[in-house]
Amino acid sequence: MAQAVMDIDPVDKRPDLIGGKPDFHDITESVAQPLEWKPSLGWYITLAISMGLLGVFGVSIAWLMWEGIGIWGNNVPVAWGWPIVNFVFWVGIGHAGTLISAVLFLFRQRWRTSINRAAEAMTLFAVMCALVFPGIHTGRPWVAYWMLPLPNQMDMWPQFRSPLMWDVFAVSIYFTVSALFWYLGLIPDLATVRDRAKAGLRKITFGFLSLGWRGSHRQWLHYERAYLLLAGLATPLVLSVHSVVSFDFATSQLPGWHTTVFPPYFVAGAIFSGMAMVLTLMLICRVVFKMEHIINMLHFDRMAKLILLTGSLVGYAYGIEFFIAWYSGNPFEQFAFLNRAFGPYAWAYWIMVSCNVLSPQIFWFKKARTNVVILFIVSILVNIGMWFERFVIVVTSLHRDFLPASWDYFTPTWWDIATLAGSFGLFFTLFTLFVRFLPMVAIAEVKGVLPQAHAHEEAEAEDRTGDELHKAAAQEGADPEGEGSWGLLAKFSDPSALRAACTKVREAGYKAWDAHTPFPVHGLERAMGLGRSMVPYAVLVLGLGGAAAGMLLQWWVSVEAYPLVISGKPFFSWPAFVPIMFETGVLGGALGAVLGFLHFSRLPRHHHPLFESEEFAGVSDDEFFISIEAEDPQFDRRTTTAFLKKAGASGVEAVPEPA
Amino acid sequence: MADSHQLPAIDPREISIPQDHPWARMPMIAGGVGIVFLAVSLIWGLSGSSQQLWNSYLVACLFFISLGLGCMFFVLATLASRAGWSVAVRRLAEHGMATLPVLGVLMLPLLFLGLHDLYHWTHHEAVEADPLLRAKSGYLNEPFFLIRSIFYIVAWTLVAWWFRKESMRQDEAGDPAITRKLQARSAPALIVFGVTLTFASFDWIMSLDPHWYSTIFGVYFFAGSFLGALALLVLLIIRLQARDLLTSVVTYEHFHDLGKLLFGFVVFWAYIAFSQFMLIWYGAIPEETLWYAHRWEHGWREVSIFLAAGHFALPFFFLLPISIKRRKITIAVASVWLLLVHYIDLYWLVMPSRTTTVDGVAGALGFHPHLLDLTCLIGVGGVFLGALAYLMRRPKLVPMRDPRLAESLSYENI
Repeated sequence: MAQAVMDIDPVDKRPDLIGGKPDFHDITESVAQPLEWKPSLGWYITLAISMGLLGVFGVSIAWLMWEGIGIWGNNVPVAWGWPIVNFVFWVGIGHAGTLISAVLFLFRQRWRTSINRAAEAMTLFAVMCALVFPGIHTGRPWVAYWMLPLPNQMDMWPQFRSPLMWDVFAVSIYFTVSALFWYLGLIPDLATVRDRAKAGLRKITFGFLSLGWRGSHRQWLHYERAYLLLAGLATPLVLSVHSVVSFDFATSQLPGWHTTVFPPYFVAGAIFSGMAMVLTLMLICRVVFKMEHIINMLHFDRMAKLILLTGSLVGYAYGIEFFIAWYSGNPFEQFAFLNRAFGPYAWAYWIMVSCNVLSPQIFWFKKARTNVVILFIVSILVNIGMWFERFVIVVTSLHRDFLPASWDYFTPTWWDIATLAGSFGLFFTLFTLFVRFLPMVAIAEVKGVLPQAHAHEEAEAEDRTGDELHKAAAQEGADPEGEGSWGLLAKFSDPSALRAACTKVREAGYKAWDAHTPFPVHGLERAMGLGRSMVPYAVLVLGLGGAAAGMLLQWWVSVEAYPLVISGKPFFSWPAFVPIMFETGVLGGALGAVLGFLHFSRLPRHHHPLFESEEFAGVSDDEFFISIEAEDPQFDRRTTTAFLKKAGASGVEAVPEPA
Repeated sequence: MADSHQLPAIDPREISIPQDHPWARMPMIAGGVGIVFLAVSLIWGLSGSSQQLWNSYLVACLFFISLGLGCMFFVLATLASRAGWSVAVRRLAEHGMATLPVLGVLMLPLLFLGLHDLYHWTHHEAVEADPLLRAKSGYLNEPFFLIRSIFYIVAWTLVAWWFRKESMRQDEAGDPAITRKLQARSAPALIVFGVTLTFASFDWIMSLDPHWYSTIFGVYFFAGSFLGALALLVLLIIRLQARDLLTSVVTYEHFHDLGKLLFGFVVFWAYIAFSQFMLIWYGAIPEETLWYAHRWEHGWREVSIFLAAGHFALPFFFLLPISIKRRKITIAVASVWLLLVHYIDLYWLVMPSRTTTVDGVAGALGFHPHLLDLTCLIGVGGVFLGALAYLMRRPKLVPMRDPRLAESLSYENI
């Protein structure tokens, strides 16, 4: 987040990222209001429809439990039917959130700030939907916990050479890390909601969840470092998750499944479908919640470009697969692809190609990228096309296998359709609740990309050093407002004034002091003289530890505890153990980032003297503070007050010890 | 914050190579050395082992072509994404990709004289005896192969020439419309780039073992190419700065970002390499695993292990800390190393596919480095370096009137 940037593109003269020249408070208002208003009738209707579908989901699963897999259309050659199609579909949708949060963050794409929160939430909900399907497809879902390496009386252990086991780890760790990433980003915004709440349940809930966040720059320092590291970990994680999903297919020997391009091709497709779902949802939300200035055409223009890019990558993979199937000279490979394009499922194949490769091509035109109707239509087409892609991959490769006598045509049953529709119920129920109860735009991050968020080196009113200023203040002295004895809280008008004052406070030799801001102000750590954050070391140690533990577990289970011969592979099959080793390494690193952040920022701390100040509630909205504690050896009530005023404070308040 | 419309003040002496500068003599020296070594290699090889010659020659050409292609991706991708940070180093990549026509000319002797020594499928009697090769002969036949190869070279020449020319035209007038035009055409050019790079890697490398196929192969070649080009850019900047050029234009921020990309593509290469290997290992289908079997016997096992360690594990941990990426000496060490392992990677792709017949049984030839490997590398490398220095002689070393240059000169990572 800390980098100098051009406010206006020098080539295209694009408008500001956020329209309407809002101030910091406007952003808080726009985002926090939907949480505080009484929900509209439309919201209740949406929730009712979503919950109705969720009910359908519940009934479908309950009937499945009662009757068994036979209620689905799965048959003998097509043993993997819709459940696996739906699983891959939902996991794919769940990739855009992390792409937007992590990959675009690493590439310094500041426009992501308007949509990342909602996209991350969407990721979590999509992964929840995804996790249901393999669970209910196991046949005996009540023993689904056997997939976890838990010590048990039978002395049985999971089969780590199976790609389906890699999925268990990859998807659940992806969910965990995405949730951590989402929560870390939410902390400052939860504090905003806490500070706006008058009293009651909302104040208690958000007060608890925000962990006592004070916008302190000593906290922001660790926060930003942890966020960056989580982004760095989530980027390879997001690539690995859909790669592992692709391994489910590609490790087999089945024509149409066994092909080496599957990992990057699945990743591109996942991001493609996820971006389309973000587009669909954001096009609706911005209108419903009156956020057209925060989520504007500039964001859609760029999302459309990403859809064009990933759609083209998917098209590349389709083409290369087809070419290599011919080039291989292998009649089975050739048949599999000809059967896809011209066999009984040709209709599905051509829906897939038209929706995924052809429809996004309209985004070569800027007019299409900024036309709400076209954007919406293409986003829906891509959602459909990507579902069909998984259908084509799963069903067409299976329905005509090596033995023509067993060929069959797969037809879904009503229960298949009900389960798929029902999963949308789960997704939309969660999303509808999310937009009502949590800030759907990252408030602190959006404030950070406003033009006025940057501290400027403009001519400062005061050119004396902090030390000189302090001596002068000792002569004069002044009284703060209020009677408190914990310390002083000085208020500043904007980031530039705050940064200039921080330099003075550091020069005057204060130690027990801090700056408090609604978003991380660039250059403040230098003005305050703060060192590097130690969070990276926590990430390194726990990351390497996680990877080592993952490999050790697999070695011990597969070689020592439960050695089984599987497809002629050695007990210690290291290539098969790499995916889980990687996932547990990322899990360790992510825990290191979050725990390191909490440890070094001394959080959670729900009670702090600063919360006694009523003024201080503005720190999560649009106000900038410096606090100096009375226990600082330099501290003198009258001198320090005068000093802070000379340093540019618009007001100084004495903060009492908490009762 | 700098005003984006105001051109930053740059000392003109640091962005163009003066007449008496050591770099001004480079075209003659490097080019001369290159031509001498090429001549020696060709005479020696053609009079002795032509198979060794063309294999060594192919690896050398592929190495520098991959660097040129990596530079092309750098130019096109940063334009397509409207990147600002990269403008200060983009001109060097533009020069880098403009060596592709010269390297294309160097490919011609191989294409017209070396195919029989390299590609099993060019032997009619072999194709007749092999149903798989017969099935592929619609694609793998000499005339079509030559047409395709020349098409790739022409396409790369056109893209490199046009983008470099337009970018240099902006140095004179500073018209932002040129940037708009470059940006608009970069995306279609990326499609041309992706398709030609993929099929060039299929044709020139994958078809060395004509039974073997891997759909990810183009991505694998791309990953190594871009990594190599980034390392080349880092080293080029450091050499120029040692000669008082680009000293204030290219800062630690650029090294930091190039270092991050190096790190990212070390990981990306490993991801692609592992995906290809693991899927083939797991599937265990003989016609696929044979390719890896050739790389696991007759002395190649050590090279394979070295690649896994040297192309991934070592640079991964080395490039991890911030301080490594922001210090010239460490980033230079990493870049030299990555270029070395990139060469070995290409060597490992090409050489084990050579076959030899012992007692009537065809088998893979072992790991036998040959002096021709070195002479060809110096020969092609000399010509490459000479061409690069020649291209850099007159034009400015940075796109000094690019509207985004101000951003590139003022941004900060931390």
